[in-house]
Amino acid sequence: MAYEIKLEHRTARIELLNRTGSKMLLAVDDRKYELDVMMVEKGVYSILYNGHSYNVELIEGESSKEYIVNTFIRSFNAEIIDAETKYRQSRKSGASAEGDNNISSPMPGKVIKIPVSKGDKVISGQTLIVVEAMKMQSEFKATADRTVRDILVKEGEIVNTNQIMIKLE
Amino acid sequence: MIKKVLIANRGEIAIRVIRSCRELGLVTVGVFSEADRKSMHVRYADEAYFIGPAPSRESYLNIDNIIEVAKKSGADAIHPGYGFLSENAAFSDRCKQEGIIFIGPSAYSIATMGDKIMARQTMTKAGIPVVPGTTEKITDESMALEIAGQIGFPLMIKATAGGGGKGMRLVRDYHDMLPFFRTAKSEAMNAFGNDSVYIEKYIESPHHIEFQILADHQGNVIHLFERECSIQRRHQKVIEETPSPLMTPELRDEMGKFAIAAARAVNYEGAGTIEFIVSDALEYYFLEMNTRLQVEHPITERVVGVDLVKEQIDIANGLPLNFRQEELRQDGHAIQCRIYAEDTDHNFMPQPGVVTHITVPLGLGVRYDVYVYEGYEIPIYYDPLISKLISWGKTRPESIDRMRRALYEYKITGVKTNIKFLKRIMDIPDFIGGKYNTHFIEQNHEKLFDSKLCTTELEDMAMIACFIDYLDKIQKIQPQKFTEEFASTWKDFGRKRSVLRL
Repeated sequence: MAYEIKLEHRTARIELLNRTGSKMLLAVDDRKYELDVMMVEKGVYSILYNGHSYNVELIEGESSKEYIVNTFIRSFNAEIIDAETKYRQSRKSGASAEGDNNISSPMPGKVIKIPVSKGDKVISGQTLIVVEAMKMQSEFKATADRTVRDILVKEGEIVNTNQIMIKLE
Repeated sequence: MIKKVLIANRGEIAIRVIRSCRELGLVTVGVFSEADRKSMHVRYADEAYFIGPAPSRESYLNIDNIIEVAKKSGADAIHPGYGFLSENAAFSDRCKQEGIIFIGPSAYSIATMGDKIMARQTMTKAGIPVVPGTTEKITDESMALEIAGQIGFPLMIKATAGGGGKGMRLVRDYHDMLPFFRTAKSEAMNAFGNDSVYIEKYIESPHHIEFQILADHQGNVIHLFERECSIQRRHQKVIEETPSPLMTPELRDEMGKFAIAAARAVNYEGAGTIEFIVSDALEYYFLEMNTRLQVEHPITERVVGVDLVKEQIDIANGLPLNFRQEELRQDGHAIQCRIYAEDTDHNFMPQPGVVTHITVPLGLGVRYDVYVYEGYEIPIYYDPLISKLISWGKTRPESIDRMRRALYEYKITGVKTNIKFLKRIMDIPDFIGGKYNTHFIEQNHEKLFDSKLCTTELEDMAMIACFIDYLDKIQKIQPQKFTEEFASTWKDFGRKRSVLRL
């Protein structure tokens, strides 16, 4: 079994070469690892490698192929790249930089203010929407001169992580 | 004497207050908003009542609803905790009118110290040094620009009703003045229901040192020494310690006397904190007074050996202070880390969500004040503070080692927290050496956020965990039902028997 996994900006191919209970032999690109891997709590893996003890916590993301990975030193966004994901990505890249045109919130929160309206021409750096979570306000700004194509939320509305709030063109 | 206390708060502080009440044999009444039915304080209090919708303005800041619950439940006193109504003069006054004891200072003390401009004027009159700045509220944008020009950059915009870094902006450049002025005002409006702000000269490389004071109704005022609170992010404290590594016995004595004088200047009653800004050259200025219990009060409790909530209740009962100044001393060293649900890698963005698992750090010299539990969903409406971890040691190095160990043990899964970040601070030479000011996080940015800390091996382990998890997940989709059905040994037995029959 092998999959490509994208961890932040790095992509590697991981292959399971042998597995007996918790003892595993894996290859990450051309590096081989002999490990003892065990899920010790739901979503928490304990990995022993060369006497080192690693604790890795996984939080499932939007889809079953996306994870937020917490290690003791830092956390990462990870994604399993299988055939389906590759297909999706190739389609996405066709509609170039579509992502740039969508303003979404990286955390759940409440829309405090939308100082723009549909059809407005906005300039780079202009505030498009203000979202508040846990008493902290975040302003989302245009990264280039654009036009507001659509506003999908209202002031006072609660938004979820990664929910698209404003579309630009 | 107080017999039943309503705690007009939520989160860890509500639990902290209930703990002392329980020890004193007082009955406790909790209040909760729509978002907090499952919150720990509701479960821990003897009684709990609903006070309104999730946004704080309609629940925890709703004076009428809270007073109504106090009357309905027969509470004879209200403890406001910190934040929410704790520094609301109208609330203190209203309690008095309704014949309920407000465990805190009088409306006069709150109003005078709560309005930063009035506070500056009062302190100047009392001979206490203050930071140069405006003495009037600034509402007009052109006036803001004019004053900024007079004071010069860098400067601070602060909410007159402020606290906790809300409605506060550091402005280094003329071009940022108006945008920051507007966001400070709107944040102040949201947090305090009052959008007036003032401007103050910004002291470069400042230390933030505060003094805990206690004052009774008989006019006795004592201080319980200092707390060093210079490790801050977004102008909010992250780590506090006492004694301050910057402090000398002479300076402590001098600042302590000013702290007492500041409390006296507003006829203060109860527990309060005088915040000072101290330069590298040990020049100090009065910054503000917090007329309530502080988030970081446990380090003082640990080092001085005093339960501040019990003292607050005794004072509210009209009893004289239990200690004289000369009876108090600092024993050892304490550090507090604030555990926030936030993403330290992305500008400390708050991270509400469901806590799936907690491994609690314990052991000698560790105190843990918390309100979240496994399965609890941290709501989006309130502060991202999850818990406070307090370590004590005979010496500062021991206290740091202990905190490092406790942070290593402490695991919260399900939401992102700043635990890793705090652990990194414990290893930074400037922190270990006690040589830091409020720019600590900025100045140590590279060490605190360096992704080089992260080895390829660690990245590989992260990927392997995802890989194995995903692999097992897709393989489970089919056979899982099967194994569950045949999980019972009786079924196993039956199956074996039929196999044998073949």
